[in-house]
Amino acid sequence: MENGGPKLYEELGELARFVKDTMRTLSAASPQLTSTSAQLPAAASHLSDLKQMTEDGTLEVMRLTELIQDNHGRIAKDLSAVVEVLRAMDCPTLAGRLEKVTSVLAQDEKYLTEIMTALSFQDLVAQRVKKLVAILNEVEGKLVELVVIFGLQQSGQAAGDASLAGQLLKQLEESKTTAMKQKVADDILAQFGFK
Amino acid sequence: MPADPSMKILVVDDMVTMRRIVKNILKQLGFGNVDEAENGQEALQKLRADTFGFVVSDWNMPVMTGIDMLRAIRADEKLKAIPVLMVTAEAQQSNLIEAVQAGVSNYIVKPFTAETMQEKLGKIFK
Repeated sequence: MENGGPKLYEELGELARFVKDTMRTLSAASPQLTSTSAQLPAAASHLSDLKQMTEDGTLEVMRLTELIQDNHGRIAKDLSAVVEVLRAMDCPTLAGRLEKVTSVLAQDEKYLTEIMTALSFQDLVAQRVKKLVAILNEVEGKLVELVVIFGLQQSGQAAGDASLAGQLLKQLEESKTTAMKQKVADDILAQFGFK
Repeated sequence: MPADPSMKILVVDDMVTMRRIVKNILKQLGFGNVDEAENGQEALQKLRADTFGFVVSDWNMPVMTGIDMLRAIRADEKLKAIPVLMVTAEAQQSNLIEAVQAGVSNYIVKPFTAETMQEKLGKIFK
């Protein structure tokens, strides 16, 4: 212990200097930390707006796509009736031409369905945005806590912010990639007897 | 047993866009009798109040998740035979295994196509 005494004091001294330097560094970063903390709610709000805008846009495209689908349905029905009449009147050439139009409409129906399914991107965007907002809230909480712990806030705010920091700290939402594709899912389902 | 085109189908998703997409695809496939629910709890209420032949559900929803709703369906004597298709972005293998263990009828990973939905319907109602 006697031999270790000076060494221990030396190490404690180094530790104290390190803590002091760290405090100084953090103090120097105070304005940036405070500014960043203040900007995070706005960033979360922008993301939420983005989600809402994609939802509004997607719903409008869906509305128009469904209108076209309904129109196509009516046109196909009418064309089918006309073709029947033309066949009965022994006009095969004209009936054949109209049947080609019907098949083009059927192909367009397929494209319209593909447009609808492609719009599922909005759901995935919304889920990612939700996760990002949760992460931003988490980071904001950590920053606020850091600012409070090191006494970097303006005087008189520390006590209130300490409890605020505690409230703001939430579990970081897991942000896993959704890498598994349908083929992999089907392979696993097959292992469970789904055929 | 082949799918009855007149059967009532419940689409469960908290996102209005996804409910609309699934409804649209089902309509294109000949199923026009479709109702909607925003979460598992609302879905269970509808399932208990009416007769449904098929459920298409998301996984991540507020109030009650799709997997909890699936377990509740399988635990309910009156509902347990209803086929449940999960359509979800929860694409981790552990999620799929959890769904299989809970009694899912099949599983679609988002984003998906109308062909995938048709294929899964064909497998469930063969």
